[in-house]
Amino acid sequence: MALLEVVDLHVGYRVFEGYLKVLNGVNFEIEEQERVGLVGETGCGKTTLVKTILRVLPVPPARIQRGQVLYHGKDILLMSPREVRGLRRREMTAIFQDPLQALNPMFTIGTQLRDILKDSQERVGRGQRTQRAITARCISALRDTGMPDPERIMSNYPIQLSGGMRQRVCIAEALSRNVRLLLADEPTTNLDVTIQDQILRKLDQLVDQRGASVLIITHSMGVVRDLTQRLYIMYAGSMVETGRTKGVLASPLHPYTQGLMRSVPRLTGQGISDGIPGRIPNYLQPPSGCRFHPRCAHAMPVCVEAPPPFYPAGDNHRVACYLYRS
Amino acid sequence: MAKFIGQRLAQSLFVLFGLSLLIFFIARVVPGDPARAALGFLATQDQVEKMRAEMHLDKPFVVQYYYWFTGLLRGDLGKSSYTHRPVTTDLGQFIPATLELILFATLISLTVGQVTGVLAGYFRNSWFDGLSRLISYLGIATPSFVVAILLIFVFSQLLRLAPSVGRLPIMVAPPPTVTGFMVLDALIAGRVEVALVALKHLLLPAVSLALIHIAQEGRITRTSIVENLDKDYITMHKVHGIRTSRLVFKYLLRPSIIPTVAVIGLDFAFLMSNAFLVELVFMWPGFARYAVTTMLNKDLNAMVAVVLVIGVTFAMVNLLVDILITFLDPTIRIQRRGG
Repeated sequence: MALLEVVDLHVGYRVFEGYLKVLNGVNFEIEEQERVGLVGETGCGKTTLVKTILRVLPVPPARIQRGQVLYHGKDILLMSPREVRGLRRREMTAIFQDPLQALNPMFTIGTQLRDILKDSQERVGRGQRTQRAITARCISALRDTGMPDPERIMSNYPIQLSGGMRQRVCIAEALSRNVRLLLADEPTTNLDVTIQDQILRKLDQLVDQRGASVLIITHSMGVVRDLTQRLYIMYAGSMVETGRTKGVLASPLHPYTQGLMRSVPRLTGQGISDGIPGRIPNYLQPPSGCRFHPRCAHAMPVCVEAPPPFYPAGDNHRVACYLYRS
Repeated sequence: MAKFIGQRLAQSLFVLFGLSLLIFFIARVVPGDPARAALGFLATQDQVEKMRAEMHLDKPFVVQYYYWFTGLLRGDLGKSSYTHRPVTTDLGQFIPATLELILFATLISLTVGQVTGVLAGYFRNSWFDGLSRLISYLGIATPSFVVAILLIFVFSQLLRLAPSVGRLPIMVAPPPTVTGFMVLDALIAGRVEVALVALKHLLLPAVSLALIHIAQEGRITRTSIVENLDKDYITMHKVHGIRTSRLVFKYLLRPSIIPTVAVIGLDFAFLMSNAFLVELVFMWPGFARYAVTTMLNKDLNAMVAVVLVIGVTFAMVNLLVDILITFLDPTIRIQRRGG
């Protein structure tokens, strides 16, 4: 049984203009100790997906139409608030893309870290020894992320730290307790390139030590190639291609993936590539059938009729495109 | 911090000096003869002239201000031409009565306003949110004196739960004055039953004064709670499994309470002016009534003193609010420290 399995998930938002159909039948899974990448352009529903899995999507305006999010076979969407809290405390956690917004500006790093540990345990003694033990665990969690001078950082407020340091704090928060699954939603998008690399390596190392599974959501093909074993390509609310990272990157099959690969600027390339014509569709009235068909050079009449299922393309490689029907 | 307080105090002194000059001047150029007003229409022209000399009104403006200012430095604000007592005596009697009323009203509006604001914000668009919105709009739209009359009618006349006149019943001897706050003084004198009676007298005027602020502060808190609920860091606290009570009363309330605290300073001035009508309805022997009476009687010394007292209170309350916010909001504290 997969650690996490999302089945036919449909999620939308009720807004003033109408109903935005964002997630349109998402299917994906993560095995124990697996590192999975999720790539897609801004607005394709990646963050909505993560928030749905964590049950932090504001409902309303969001609405989960149908689908299942199975954790060890149990549907998270049907759990009681108490069960969800237990899950967040011991099983899964997340890092979000903007470390400048992810820490409460009113409290010290120490306060925020300590409260996470206090609340994640079943019983916390009030004695001095327990308190000291918690503080020690916070400091070592900070040190694990490569944070310089963690004792001092404990009494600092978020605004006293740089973006890179704040993201280290977020990682420390996420990994301060032993979780089975980490959802990293563009963890380094808002950081300098040099810091990005350091943070990702550290994250990779920490996840490795803990034997946890990771879902890394990113725009960057480089990050995916370096850190993941398996890959999903997402377009406008559903998965369009999946397979071993190496295989997909070496021979992308879906026209969207191919366009995405062409859009990656290369140091050796000549100028900027053509990219993909058009833009992500309007979710109020999304295209029928395959949502990519208005932008696709290979569009056929069948593409307009119904969304394509996954077709196998060898070695775990699967693609949701009618070109590969045979 | 000490440097900041020092700077703010120096600023306040400067502003208050300007304010005193301004009100001193305005009080003397508005039409009407203060000497005549003090003596009444039966006094002869001779008597009025003598009074004018006694009040230094025959001297140039600068000289008059010099006399008044040196008096101020000695703690003498002159005599009220209306009550015929030193202005400081009047102030000492009336200010505590109003301060007790206003502070109690602020206490009520803060607690009730915060609780309803937090609940309405956290359960936004629920029935409670709708109900509190409706009551808030009513509270903001209804003038305090109308609320006062309604409260008297319901709680004093119909239900006979609380008295509606003055600070104590006539039969009860007031406790010796220490703070000027009736409830506190009674407690200091060890007369608990008197304190309770005084508290009952305080209840209706304070509530009618507080209602509009409950509504206002509740709405402000509700808005900032809703705004902060959407913040990434609140989502992160949830993701990390922080328990709900901690999430709401620690991580959500702290950033949300700051805008409310900031308006308390401004509300204080509003309470002062609103207190006049409420004091009138409840026959509360307070400062607001005194202030209006002195204005109507062109009681020069009292007028200037009244304006100064309001100025000083306003400056002090806002300084306190600023200090409080510095304690509540670490980002301001760190910026002020310059690091």
